[in-house]
Amino acid sequence: MAARLLAAIPANYLLTSLATATLARLLWRGLGVDPANASVAAMLASFVMFSVLALVAFGVRSALKLWLWMIGSGAVLGAGLWLSLTSGGRL
Amino acid sequence: MKDSLRQSMALFHTWSGLLLGWLLFAMFATGTAAYFQDEITRWMQPEVTGSADPEASAQGAVRYLNKVAPDAISWYITLPNGRSATTQVYWQPGDGTRGKRGETSAVLDQAGRAITVRETSGGFFLYRFHFDLHYMPVLWARYLVGIAAMFMLTAILSGIVTHKKIFADFFMLRFGKGQRSWLDAHNVTAVIALPFHLMITFTGLVTLASMYMPWGIAANYASPSVFQEQVFGREPAAERSGRAQPLVDLAPLMRAASAGWGGKQVGYISVTNPGDATARVLFTRSPGAAIAARGETAAFAGATGKDLAAHTASGAALATESVMIGLHTGRFAQWGLRWLYFLSGIGGTVMVGSGLVLWTVKRRARLPDPARPHFGFRLVERLNIAAIPGLATGIAVYFLANRLLPADLAQRPDREIDSLFLAWLAVGLWGMVRPAGRAWTETLALAGACFAAVPVVNALTTSRGFAASITNGDWLFIAFDLVMIALAACFLHAAGKVAQHRAKKAAAPLRRTSRKAVSQ
Repeated sequence: MAARLLAAIPANYLLTSLATATLARLLWRGLGVDPANASVAAMLASFVMFSVLALVAFGVRSALKLWLWMIGSGAVLGAGLWLSLTSGGRL
Repeated sequence: MKDSLRQSMALFHTWSGLLLGWLLFAMFATGTAAYFQDEITRWMQPEVTGSADPEASAQGAVRYLNKVAPDAISWYITLPNGRSATTQVYWQPGDGTRGKRGETSAVLDQAGRAITVRETSGGFFLYRFHFDLHYMPVLWARYLVGIAAMFMLTAILSGIVTHKKIFADFFMLRFGKGQRSWLDAHNVTAVIALPFHLMITFTGLVTLASMYMPWGIAANYASPSVFQEQVFGREPAAERSGRAQPLVDLAPLMRAASAGWGGKQVGYISVTNPGDATARVLFTRSPGAAIAARGETAAFAGATGKDLAAHTASGAALATESVMIGLHTGRFAQWGLRWLYFLSGIGGTVMVGSGLVLWTVKRRARLPDPARPHFGFRLVERLNIAAIPGLATGIAVYFLANRLLPADLAQRPDREIDSLFLAWLAVGLWGMVRPAGRAWTETLALAGACFAAVPVVNALTTSRGFAASITNGDWLFIAFDLVMIALAACFLHAAGKVAQHRAKKAAAPLRRTSRKAVSQ
């Protein structure tokens, strides 16, 4: 239960933040959306992601698998964000 | 697998709902009231009658500000609209100090005279409490409220998964069946207004999104101020030139701005460097004129009236955000829709309240010793009393204090607000010391009595009682009295139900023993 609570709230917030930041970068640098709209679009999507992830954390059968998935996707997103930030600066 | 998913979602729903349910109840109740914040303010300032013309009010406000704050850095003017009759002004003093509240703001009538009689925060306080709470730093309050909203969103989603027969239960409301009735009440209020609940919770998060999820902006902007500038067009104010030049008449500029927006009215005015050659006037479209919350703007040179190019942010995501905030605040809504907002909000309040009560009703049957419940159970029960009848009593007392406190009391708005919290605290304490069952009856009856007292006290202390309102066709005051009476009836009815239920329960063991005696 503690593992799920940790996954559902603090880890979820970290992962959602990473995804939001990466999406904002992707929309702006990758797809050419203007930066303000890219940031806001990612921000709006973040609440959907957070709430669904919170439910998933309690819904899936294996807490171990859940954590492996979260750490894995966090690493991919983190690497993507880092690459994007080093390749081009912020406004 | 399907059933275990439902079970885990049910568990999640129960505990996430309970943990922040009390705060959510207060947010729903005050947020619902806030849909009528302008009307509540008008009720709380019964000396102010009639309606005000926006153009004349703008000229009046400029006259007032020229007298009171001629060398201010900026003026902010909120104009009256169809719902309010007063102008709110706020200014940033020229010496750069941040004045205390009340010293740098005023409420004006159409002619630009400050309204000093019966000062009140009115409906605005209920609106601010909805997300800023009170007696605590605003920043903390907003984070707390955001966490509660996120719990709400997940509680709604898990509630949908938990609910097996969501459409059959749409029409199911069984009265007088104990736990079943509470569950039905929770389901019906949740399901009927489900689209509203989902919308209001999500858009509520969006209103303060950049606080809760700043990382989307941080990823593209090194400093949030650059983002602000791009979106809101907030230019840093120019230095005062020192060459005094009076502000041009605002009325023709307002007409020009309005014409540029297809006839939509001006709602807000800000003036930077008033009285100086560098003065700049910014008009923002009235929030009542369209759904989108981020209104169109128009800028003019204050000294010459020259049209300056106004900045407008555009784009799909920004427009979506703006409409979402507009949907949440409902400022665009006309009467029919406004009442629907209000009723949906009441539905949400009942949904949260019945969910909280359901938690205890469900567990009472399973207690090892129902006469002496464990600490957690008692805590929830007491907090429910403090939250539900407590807040209701507090709001009724807030209205009563508006009528009963001396009209010229110092810091009157704060005293009104204190009355609300004192009454709330008193009911909470009462709920702690009394036996729970009896406390429910008493506090519900008290809340009902306080709401019932509002129209009576209003009739006794003002010339705008129910009878007078009927003869004058004063619909705002008629509706206010009727809502108070309806709330009083609901709370008194609930108190009666609880008392009945307790009497039945007290009689039940007796009956059983007497039956046993007969069979022997």
